[in-house]
Amino acid sequence: MLSRIADSLFWLNRYMERSEGMLRLMRTNYVLSLDKGPSDSNNWKALLQIYSNLSLADQQLLQDSSQKIISHLLVDPNNDNSLQLNLNRARENARGMQDHITKEVWEQVNHMYHKINSKNTIETILNNQQLAPIEYLLKNSLLYTGITDSTMPRGMSWCFMNLGKYMERCLLTIELLDKYFSEIDFNEEKDILYWRTLLYSVSGYEFHLKNYRESSVNFNVAHQIIFNNEFPYSIFYCLTRVKKYFEIIVDENKTKDKNMLVKEFGRIYSNVEFTDLQWIKKTGMSMYLQTSKYNLLQFTNTLSQTFFSYS
Amino acid sequence: MTVQEMLSNYVQGNTWDEMMGHNEIRQPYQLLFEALAGLSSDQIAQKNAEASELFMNQGITFTVYSDKEGIERIFPFDIIPRIITSKEWEHIELGIKQRLKALNLFLKDIYHDQQIIKDKIIPAWLIASCPHYTREVFGINVPHDLYVHISGIDLIKGEDGKFYILEDNLRTPSGVSYMLENREVTKRIFPSLVTNNQVKMINNYPLLLHSILLSLSPRHVKTPNVVILTPGIFNSAYYEHTFLARQMGIELVEGRDLVVNGHKVYMKTTRGLQQVDVIYRRVDDEFLDPLTFKADSILGIPGLIGAYRKGNVAIVNAVGTGVADDKAVYAYVPDMIKYYLNEDPILPNVPTHSLLDKEKQEYVFNNIHNMVIKGTNQSGGYGMLMGNNTNEEEVAIFKQKVAENPREFIAQPIIKLSTVPCFIDGKLQARHVDLRPYALCGPSGIEIVPGGLTRVALKEGSLVVNSSQGGGSKDTWIIE
Repeated sequence: MLSRIADSLFWLNRYMERSEGMLRLMRTNYVLSLDKGPSDSNNWKALLQIYSNLSLADQQLLQDSSQKIISHLLVDPNNDNSLQLNLNRARENARGMQDHITKEVWEQVNHMYHKINSKNTIETILNNQQLAPIEYLLKNSLLYTGITDSTMPRGMSWCFMNLGKYMERCLLTIELLDKYFSEIDFNEEKDILYWRTLLYSVSGYEFHLKNYRESSVNFNVAHQIIFNNEFPYSIFYCLTRVKKYFEIIVDENKTKDKNMLVKEFGRIYSNVEFTDLQWIKKTGMSMYLQTSKYNLLQFTNTLSQTFFSYS
Repeated sequence: MTVQEMLSNYVQGNTWDEMMGHNEIRQPYQLLFEALAGLSSDQIAQKNAEASELFMNQGITFTVYSDKEGIERIFPFDIIPRIITSKEWEHIELGIKQRLKALNLFLKDIYHDQQIIKDKIIPAWLIASCPHYTREVFGINVPHDLYVHISGIDLIKGEDGKFYILEDNLRTPSGVSYMLENREVTKRIFPSLVTNNQVKMINNYPLLLHSILLSLSPRHVKTPNVVILTPGIFNSAYYEHTFLARQMGIELVEGRDLVVNGHKVYMKTTRGLQQVDVIYRRVDDEFLDPLTFKADSILGIPGLIGAYRKGNVAIVNAVGTGVADDKAVYAYVPDMIKYYLNEDPILPNVPTHSLLDKEKQEYVFNNIHNMVIKGTNQSGGYGMLMGNNTNEEEVAIFKQKVAENPREFIAQPIIKLSTVPCFIDGKLQARHVDLRPYALCGPSGIEIVPGGLTRVALKEGSLVVNSSQGGGSKDTWIIE
């Protein structure tokens, strides 16, 4: 496979996963912001920090209006991380390799691209009727995942796509968890209302209610989001998927520096597999999450040097 | 309004109409309109909308740039097919084959012995002043002595109902994907019509092209590496590049995917470098290799021409074919056919005036209202003057330009292109068309799939069919 194609497949799915995560976060925050609660302004702060390059002062200006924040995140041309730009980039990647994805996948990416760029949608968003387009695009993001899953051949393309998808998801989960824990002290017990936004944002609220009953909510949330292998947004689950596709890629491509790469990933993986919450508490949650994030980003660099470098 | 009524309101222009002759429908179109007769204009309009949606969803669009924002448009498609009989087609086929044979011999000659100049058939200065005469490839031998593998020669039908050659497109002609997609769309919206009319099949084009590309490999291996080289997603024909790659199952590469090492071309893959044998390039000559041509081009591959000269890679079409489709050289093609093949041309040229001497210029400008002036090196309907539809000011500008650089212009009498019915604003209206069949030359001969791209000037009375000038296209049927 051409390095450029591998690169595009990887990034197509990173941008699509990023868009999906963003849409879900926005929907959750928007719906929850309708109930006046004690901690809503916090929620938008996390989102703005992740998806906007505004200065803190400018972020402050937006704080009073959910609608303004959402418009900024969805379609503001001054925001380098807006949903619109993410979908445009996804489509740009897809367009440059139409012959390597199925017609169905291409048409779905194309459809979402046309939707977010249509005058109609942008007007609706700017007129503060944002829930409908968010819902529509979120549904279509899920549809994209389904279409990809049922039409893409399970070859190298599939592996690079999934590598991108789960790396991106893992990074978002780490980022979110860090934002929510950095607001509190691990020992300062928060109730489920504090954690609800985070759990909804990763489709994990019902999962939590079903699976975690006793004692400390802080502890339980951390367990679910870092270690629970049945929860598809947990760091461990994502890394398990990454591991699977990464191993196929390394094997099939008879990669030269195989050992170095495998070891580098092994360190990241075992840092989750052979850790428990007691240990994390000792080192500090933030420290642990920041290190994991840093190592993952380093790993993506090595990956791109090995497989995607074409310049 | 039903189609029956639309037909009775059909107004012919003052030229050859391919559907209507002496107030009755010509025989090839009868079956089609019998089948359509009962449909109302609303029903046709609905089919029209269906067709547009099919094009849009598949991303068969080109981008128009305005205000820094790209707007995606579909290439306008008219749903009434254009019909050509197989008798006419046989004539076209013979004519194009003959012409391509001569043009390939000419290219071999002009980049080697130049006998045609020594025998004073074509003046040396004409070739020397041709911007697409590429000295950098002089003396390079190409596989099977084939230079033009893929061509899209434009034909028009005049007032007399005969076909003429309008221009030879021998560099990187585009549009073949539209020919194929137009047929697919027609099949979707008029399923029974295509079979009832016994329309000849065209969709083996990608297979023919693929087998020709394979046969050109300099390396004798079981599965040579064949790639399409595209300038990238911003090129207006990008859809076509992906379409062909997909249909042939070969890699679509950009310049940055390829690298030359030891006079061999490689592509960069996740497994390391892999040698490339045949490049079907959709990049113009001057952007192919920054070491040989434009130094600032980032579309090309440094060292490509070196590998080509060594014979380690085949480039399709060969580098330098532009000399043969220069509009001033065009006038000499009938002489080439005589010189190389000792035959008379089967398909005639449109009469062409060189503007080099003052007398000719005067003659042309005195009769400007019946003349079209074209830049010898322009395409896409740019840089030309249609004498029937102009004003004093424009004429003065062109006079000035011609006086400065007479070699860069030619003049031709305006040919009233034939018309065919199009469905526009709920009515059937006559519009002018041309025809671009796609011919493939391989080591075992020339093949032309029975059909082509019919381009239509959608503006009333307009004779310019280029898509950049408000043209559209039609499905083209060759029937028994």
